[in-house]
Amino acid sequence: MGKVGRFIAGKADNVRLRTRMERKTMHHANHHYGHSHILARYCEMPEPLHPPRIQGYLQHGWNIGDGLAPGTPYVSGTPLLVWSEETRRRSWSQGRRDVVVVGAPFAYLVEMTPPPAEPGEGTIFYPFHGWEGQQVHGDHQRLIDEVKATETGPITACLYWNEYRMRSVRHLYERAGFRVICHGYRGFWWRDHNRDFLVGQLAELRRHRRVVSNRLCSAIWYGLLAGREAAVYGDPMVLDNADMTFGGEPRLHRQWPELYGRETDFETCHRLARIQLGADELASPQELRKLLGWPKEGYV
Amino acid sequence: MIPDRPDMAAALAAPPLTNLVRAGGEMFNWSDPAGPRNALLGHLVAESSGPGRTVLIAGPHPAGLVAALAAGGAEVTWALRSLADAERAAGAHPAVTVISGAFGKIDLTSGYDLVVATDGVRRLNSAEGEQLSAVELLDRLAGAVRPGGTLILMHDNQLGVHHTVRLDPGSRFRDDAAWYPGEADASPAARAQLTAHLAGAGLVIDADYAAFPEPGAPAVLIGGDALGDVTSPARPWLATVLAQAYTTAFRGRPVLSDPRKLISRALRAGAEDTVAGGWLVVAHAPGDEDRPRHRHDVLVGDVNGVYAVEADGPRMLAPAEDPREVQGLRRVEVIRPVAGRQWEERLLELCAAADVRGLRQEIARYESWLGSGPVGGPEALADFSSIGITGDGPVVLSARWEPAEPLPAQLVLVRTLWQFAVRLITWGRPHPWPITASAADLAAILVGMAGRSLTDEELRAAIDLQLTIDGAEFDLDQAGLQAQRLALLAVRPGTAPVDVTGYHELTEALWRQRYEASHLLAMMEWNEQMIQSRDAALSRMDWELQLLRRGWGARGLMLAKRAYKKVKK
Repeated sequence: MGKVGRFIAGKADNVRLRTRMERKTMHHANHHYGHSHILARYCEMPEPLHPPRIQGYLQHGWNIGDGLAPGTPYVSGTPLLVWSEETRRRSWSQGRRDVVVVGAPFAYLVEMTPPPAEPGEGTIFYPFHGWEGQQVHGDHQRLIDEVKATETGPITACLYWNEYRMRSVRHLYERAGFRVICHGYRGFWWRDHNRDFLVGQLAELRRHRRVVSNRLCSAIWYGLLAGREAAVYGDPMVLDNADMTFGGEPRLHRQWPELYGRETDFETCHRLARIQLGADELASPQELRKLLGWPKEGYV
Repeated sequence: MIPDRPDMAAALAAPPLTNLVRAGGEMFNWSDPAGPRNALLGHLVAESSGPGRTVLIAGPHPAGLVAALAAGGAEVTWALRSLADAERAAGAHPAVTVISGAFGKIDLTSGYDLVVATDGVRRLNSAEGEQLSAVELLDRLAGAVRPGGTLILMHDNQLGVHHTVRLDPGSRFRDDAAWYPGEADASPAARAQLTAHLAGAGLVIDADYAAFPEPGAPAVLIGGDALGDVTSPARPWLATVLAQAYTTAFRGRPVLSDPRKLISRALRAGAEDTVAGGWLVVAHAPGDEDRPRHRHDVLVGDVNGVYAVEADGPRMLAPAEDPREVQGLRRVEVIRPVAGRQWEERLLELCAAADVRGLRQEIARYESWLGSGPVGGPEALADFSSIGITGDGPVVLSARWEPAEPLPAQLVLVRTLWQFAVRLITWGRPHPWPITASAADLAAILVGMAGRSLTDEELRAAIDLQLTIDGAEFDLDQAGLQAQRLALLAVRPGTAPVDVTGYHELTEALWRQRYEASHLLAMMEWNEQMIQSRDAALSRMDWELQLLRRGWGARGLMLAKRAYKKVKK
């Protein structure tokens, strides 16, 4: 291939193409974190690595709003598949109508993955992050000091992929003696997904005894569901363009005070996690298949 | 109703009728249709009649009832306002004295041992002459009862569900008998008013019932302590029986709103007396001939016959004589007014609360109740509305059919769950699944809740089973069966009820149809955008491919062409 050709067919162009199409995406968030892959495996689909399109919007992160990530282009009338009954109620109150509770894909993953014999050791720490479009303000070092002073045993810091790529941030944690990991890239426009994102996250969570973050987030609920102690403390690191429609960080603190503090009650928090992730409302494979719009040949 | 023109030659040739009396005010060129024979009313009337007793039948009644009374040895007098009807009756029943004319003109002074007015008072006045008010007519009826004699009267309830749900615009202007509108008369408007009036006219009330679903054809009579008693253990059973009665009565009739919904709410509120189709009163005039009178709290008439329900259980009073086996189904009489709760009510509640966990538990309970082997008996055909949950587990409260041969458990399960799905959609009941789901989709989800898959064949077999049941229950012919099959196969979110089509339910279905249509339009627009975006990407890639395939000279030409186009723009 010549120089011109390489230039034209090069990566830069591909990115442009993707950016162009991104404005028109509807369902690609369904593939984030390998969600649809987990559900396809649970539903015993013939090709779980290539899940069919989900006929609806699957909630892709723990959410204190209507279940859709802010700004998601929504095709009117399409079912919204949310994790919990509480989210369904809130979503209804926000004018959404076709809202169906399916439970969190992570909860299905926990169902499918036998628990380890080992109780786990040390702490896994998730410094709060934004997504690609946001930057967090806050002092990583102060956070590190606080976690080190509180936690006993080895500490793993799990960074979001954009922070993991920032050498300065990564070095801060490494210098503090933390093991630094990243669960991978959640994926974008049906490409570059880490299909095993949640599988890796579950394994990491179970390796540890405690899950800690400076802000209540999906990882804390996941840790609790995986049977690990969880605690939220430290500077919550406010996002520069945080959306306060649903109350933001202060609301988290008020609504789920049980999770805040250096020590929390596991039973209480575990119960809350089951509610938030819809863990007691998981559908059977046959039922879920129907809810996701994945019919099998010859079946209704 | 105006009959066809009379045939003069035939009228002159016919022998004179000796048993026909013209009392005056009789209506010419007029006929009142009598409803079909009602087993419940027939039984009550027959109970009070007997050989040698004088009976007055006031107004149009089924000819079969009159014939049965006459055959039982009673001296029957039949008062009819229509001369044509009276002539026909006199010809058909030589032993019956037929009086034709306005009820106000008929001489009642001799009195009767039994006065039957189960058609009410609305068809006693003639268009001719003086118009008696409903109260005056009631007084005349009461006055016609001899000391010791009995009055059996049905009185229409203007607040009855059948009036509330009527969807019949312009009916008054089409009804030849409505020379006065029904609402205009100041007749008793509550059961208490009616009984008080009859008591004031000198009668003693033996029994007074709320009659359902309509005064002309009652199928359920509730009276005594059972009326309005929400703590009665028989309530869930009553709900089932009333729902069946209203389904049979209103099937295929356009209504304002599904009467079953209203009646089930009234039952829960203990207000069934207020919205009953009418009130049936059995009263007697005090006298020497007082006989011990037995009253039942609940009387039901259905395909199996007439039975009473007492505190110690049901008792068949008059079994029906129709064939007992139809299309692989056998008639059964399951009447179990046990303390419990209608299962369907519980499931509807869970659906409304989006409690999927609770629903899964209930469906698992149903599955284990059915068992894994073939299911025989009424359990095989009972849907959730006729099963009660009691302390000892689920119990079939009421059933009229069972399969002649046991059915596979999967078929029974699928049919029941599918039938429930149809109700959820067509009744517009809230449920936790997508609004755009069809009955088949919902059935598959519900069956999936039991951890099972549902194939197309299984669903079809279940719908066929439902057709068999409907065919037997409503006595459908081939065309009726085919129409029912098409209706059942196509229950989509926009489908209105397949049995009773209420205006309210239709508009609800229309809302769902609009929702589905607007979603489809949005989806189409979205797909259009996706196609456009992919077309653009494809054409760009195709251009790139062409470029890379060519030699350097041609590439240069292509690039130059593109650059020129860009500049020109």
